[in-house]
Amino acid sequence: MSDYTSDYTIVGKRMPRVDSRAKVMGKAKFTADLKLPGMLVGKIKRSPYAHARILNIDTSKAEALPGVKAIVTGKETKGVKWGVFAYTRDQQFIQIEKVRYIGDEVAGVAAVDEDTALKALDLIEVTYEELPPVFDPMEAMVSETELIHEDFPNNINVHVNIDTGNVDENFEKAYYIREDTYVAPEESYFQAEPYAVAARFDHEDCLEVWCPNGGPHMKSKPLSNAFKLPLHKVKVKKIAIGGAFGGRSEICPVDYICALLAKKTKRPVRIQFTREENTIATRQGHAMITTHKTGVDKDGRVLARETTCYMDGGAYSSTGPIATSVPFLSMEQAYRMESVRYNGYRIYTNKPIRGMIRTHGRGFACGLDTQLDMIADHLGIDPVEMRLRNSRQPGEYTSTKSYVDSCAMDETIHKAVEKSGFKEKWGKLPPYHGIGIGTNSVQTGFPMGIRGGSQSFIKFNEDGEATVMSGVVDNGQGNDNMLVQIAAEELGLLPEDIHLVSADTETTSSDPGSYSQVSTFVGGHAVKIAAQNCREKLFEVASKLLKVEPDKLAAKNRLIFVKDDPGSKRCKASKSIPIKKVVRISLLNFNSVNAEGGYWPKVDMKREWVKNPYGQMCEAFSFGTTIVEVKVDPDTGQVEVLEATAAQDVGYGINPLVLEGQFEGALTMGGQGGMLTEYHEWKDGRCINPTMLDYKLPLACDMPKINTIIVESIDPKGPYGAKEAGMSIAMSAAQGYSAAVSNAIGVYMDSFPLTPDKILAAIKGKKAQAEKKTSKNNAVN
Amino acid sequence: MRLPRFDYLGPETLDQTLDLLATHKDDAKILAGGTDLLVRMKKGLLKPKTLISLKALNELSYINKKDGCIKIGARTSIADIIASDLIQKKAKALFQACEKIGAITIQHDRGTIGGNILQDNRCHHYNQSDFHRSGRQACHKDGGKICYAREEADRCNSTCQSDGATALMTLNAKIILARKGGERTMDLADFYTTDGIMPFAMESHELLKEIIIPIGGAQSAYKRLAYRSAIDYPIVCAGVLLKLSDTQKNEIDDVRIVVGAMGRSPLFLAQASSSLKGKKLSDTVAFKRAADIAMDNASTFAVHNVGATLEYRCAMVSQMVFQALEQAALAARE
Ligand SMILES: Cc1cc2nc3c(=O)[nH]c(=O)nc-3n(C[C@H](O)[C@H](O)[C@H](O)COP(=O)(O)OP(=O)(O)OC[C@H]3O[C@@H](n4cnc5c(N)ncnc54)[C@H](O)[C@@H]3O)c2cc1C
Ligand code: SF4
Repeated sequence: MSDYTSDYTIVGKRMPRVDSRAKVMGKAKFTADLKLPGMLVGKIKRSPYAHARILNIDTSKAEALPGVKAIVTGKETKGVKWGVFAYTRDQQFIQIEKVRYIGDEVAGVAAVDEDTALKALDLIEVTYEELPPVFDPMEAMVSETELIHEDFPNNINVHVNIDTGNVDENFEKAYYIREDTYVAPEESYFQAEPYAVAARFDHEDCLEVWCPNGGPHMKSKPLSNAFKLPLHKVKVKKIAIGGAFGGRSEICPVDYICALLAKKTKRPVRIQFTREENTIATRQGHAMITTHKTGVDKDGRVLARETTCYMDGGAYSSTGPIATSVPFLSMEQAYRMESVRYNGYRIYTNKPIRGMIRTHGRGFACGLDTQLDMIADHLGIDPVEMRLRNSRQPGEYTSTKSYVDSCAMDETIHKAVEKSGFKEKWGKLPPYHGIGIGTNSVQTGFPMGIRGGSQSFIKFNEDGEATVMSGVVDNGQGNDNMLVQIAAEELGLLPEDIHLVSADTETTSSDPGSYSQVSTFVGGHAVKIAAQNCREKLFEVASKLLKVEPDKLAAKNRLIFVKDDPGSKRCKASKSIPIKKVVRISLLNFNSVNAEGGYWPKVDMKREWVKNPYGQMCEAFSFGTTIVEVKVDPDTGQVEVLEATAAQDVGYGINPLVLEGQFEGALTMGGQGGMLTEYHEWKDGRCINPTMLDYKLPLACDMPKINTIIVESIDPKGPYGAKEAGMSIAMSAAQGYSAAVSNAIGVYMDSFPLTPDKILAAIKGKKAQAEKKTSKNNAVN
Repeated sequence: MRLPRFDYLGPETLDQTLDLLATHKDDAKILAGGTDLLVRMKKGLLKPKTLISLKALNELSYINKKDGCIKIGARTSIADIIASDLIQKKAKALFQACEKIGAITIQHDRGTIGGNILQDNRCHHYNQSDFHRSGRQACHKDGGKICYAREEADRCNSTCQSDGATALMTLNAKIILARKGGERTMDLADFYTTDGIMPFAMESHELLKEIIIPIGGAQSAYKRLAYRSAIDYPIVCAGVLLKLSDTQKNEIDDVRIVVGAMGRSPLFLAQASSSLKGKKLSDTVAFKRAADIAMDNASTFAVHNVGATLEYRCAMVSQMVFQALEQAALAARE
């Protein structure tokens, strides 16, 4: 059981993040701000063709250019391939034989300045033989042209098949069945910070690397493999990070190229992406075509579901097996289904590489919720009731056999419904006003084998302050603050007494990284345990000084005092002792005051994305509901969002202020941007809108009033009962937005995002249908 | 992205500026606010040897009322135009257009009205990085022979997305172009070529000096559509200038409808405009008809090259024109 109590002093309290001040004042240093002595500028030569064979690369002219210090091509990488899984190693760090998308890496240059590096890129002569490209995943599967990767027939990269059995039988039993197809194009992350990497080899031939990342240990391991260096010689360093959203979880070929250039030149090298490179040459979200077939009983309970999803995976595997699974997993966690069959296909195309993204499969999730609304409509049930009848309950197993312990899905629904006035508004809003609800769930972690757990070390300094070491990375969500709050709470210190050393592979232990919603649950947990262990040591010493048993002691406000002693409440000197004093006495008595702690979630290690997608996925799941109210202009199709209410079961709110920020950001990304304006346009494999001007990210002034509701279910395993924050809002926001627009215009939309042109076409279509009906009726009369 | 190298010249007077233009001609470009020019230079779309900055030319920054006209110096900032009482009252369409340009913190403070009129036409196949434009044939505007926006096009159909120019053409504005030893005045409507490669009928040694807006008894209105409420070029915009009859109460004497972001230049739509002659202010059916004519006529110019679907942009012409007509009619009634 959780050791949750309600009288914490530091956790559960609103406090400004420890990193905020430096960031808002422009003092935080990001990779692009790094200036290392003797540093060179690195640039990447990229393929201008979507699919082509490389016949020859001539670097001689570029090498002769004064100021050019090194050029690397695939020859130097000896064809080393990278892939997240052993069975997905399909991407060479620098291409040798073939390029597979516009932006593929073919060479790297290091020069004394940017102008020279850019000039050198122009002087590298690459001879290509163009091959027929394929951009559409459905075409790619039947295309007779040269395969994108020869080992993958039909260009199918990943096939995830999940089947609980009884699907066909249950469809037989169903009272009502619907089958609908939903589509959505790819989207981009648009992290505030464009990707950058700096690398150098130090005097001991250790490789030092700085770059935005979703987990430094995820970067060090592939680099150690590629350079055949022991892990301790690859030091991925901490640096401020301007966002990740799933797009920076794995190694980027450019990390390797940068390190290779540093090795060759024996100087530090930094490569900084343009906004366009960040869009096309990191990762994007998958475009998807999803068909949901759902059979329900008379009361709307789902008996059987069959989902088939075709995902445009782009040129390489990336985190493909994960990305092909998570949309399904979110669905099976959020909703009960008696039986389900899933076939997810990730297909190679000659487009940029797709990876995981915060709103995993907007077309998938919004399609599912739209279909639920359609079924509810048919059965005469309102959308809230429809969700309550199918929502996940605590103590159940998901379809793929994960036990769900804490779950306050229903509470998020009830609270969001009440706050938004859904019941009063549903069906009663004026024309072209609409309200909609979405619910979703995400997991706190994946089975990650050897890197599934996190460890932390804590040491006290003689002034009574503590240094906390943790592998958890903060890429914008507030993880650093979370660790500090937990450590301060447990050690009885104030947040300013904690010095955090984190996300550095030299000094901190392995950690799963921050891209699977696992940082608090696993990394925070490890810090909590380490701090508790450290506190115990202090209590040993203090118990002798205060002459009470250690278990009678508590620590707070830099003091150790006797619990439940009326006198100690006012911290009478006789019954309390400053932590600093305890530390000093301890050291004088030859006792160390440091400790370690670790946390490994009990997951099913045999679970595998493709081969065995069953078993305990993670220890806890978060649940979220978003309700959105909109007004649509029937003349222009433009949507004005009046209000959005986001409620999430976060387990426990360690810092409500940070949580609210996460909810708001999630709603902006998943809802306002993800559902209304954000999508990519293409011309022959070229991304037409790679920049912030042309890719329509929402602006602050376009955001609606947002109500945030923190629901606490106190997970028995999570630290203080905490789970995950924000992601089930990003997902449910997309669903809530799409449901609200559909409700406003009276048409169930099946193509996302809901841009004005689509909305207008739907309104027109509906009007035309109504007219046809009346004219038919008139004819009959 | 890098700004290519260039020489920077900072003349102190208009005469000096015209001298420099006469000397450098095609090698030089005027730098006003730079919010259009520098973005294009960073993308490698042009590499002028020399930039002649208007920074010191305060003599080109003014808004006056003179001879029944509003006169605006070409270097006047967008922010000054928005703040001008005279423009708010007598050239409402321009005020409404300027309010919506770009971002307040950048385009309004740095951007100038001259630069706004003279910003280059845009196209999402062309306003891209060097890298984006490599590995494929160059299009007309890029020095080649094909067009990615309209198959078989013999010329460039890049789009004029200037809010200011659309509003000014609505208001019947004239412009003064100065050159060493002389100047010429012309209707803004006559200032455009028939090829988006170089959309303006202007010589490289000429400078846009002044914009003149006649003050009549007419009411104006401006409507625009974009995906976001700021930092977004219009995908369609429309201006209306409406003059009531002096003799017949609530009857329209003359209307001028101009549509922007649909063609190589703002489009004065004569047929739609004249369809409203003699119509009552309350005749929304006539407004609707005029708006539809405007849509039909404007649609023939547009190509899919500035975001949103072409079908949607065309459909929205009618909406924007109708809304602008209604707004101008309402103002006329008040
Ligand atoms: C993100 C973004 C959003 C934008 N949004 C909008 C928008 O919504 N609506 C809109 O209309 N525009 C928009 N713009 C375009 C531009 O910012 C504005 O049009 C601005 O008013 C241009 O003025 P400027 O002084 O900065 O022009 P500059 O960039 O200095 O000049 C533009 C061009 O005009 C020439 N020039 C300038 N002044 C003179 C002169 N007096 N004589 C001769 N030649 C001259 C320059 O040589 C150059 O070719 C946007 C730009 C950006 C980057
Ligand atoms: S309209 Fe055609 S020619 Fe003109 S810029 Fe666009 S692609 Fe090039």
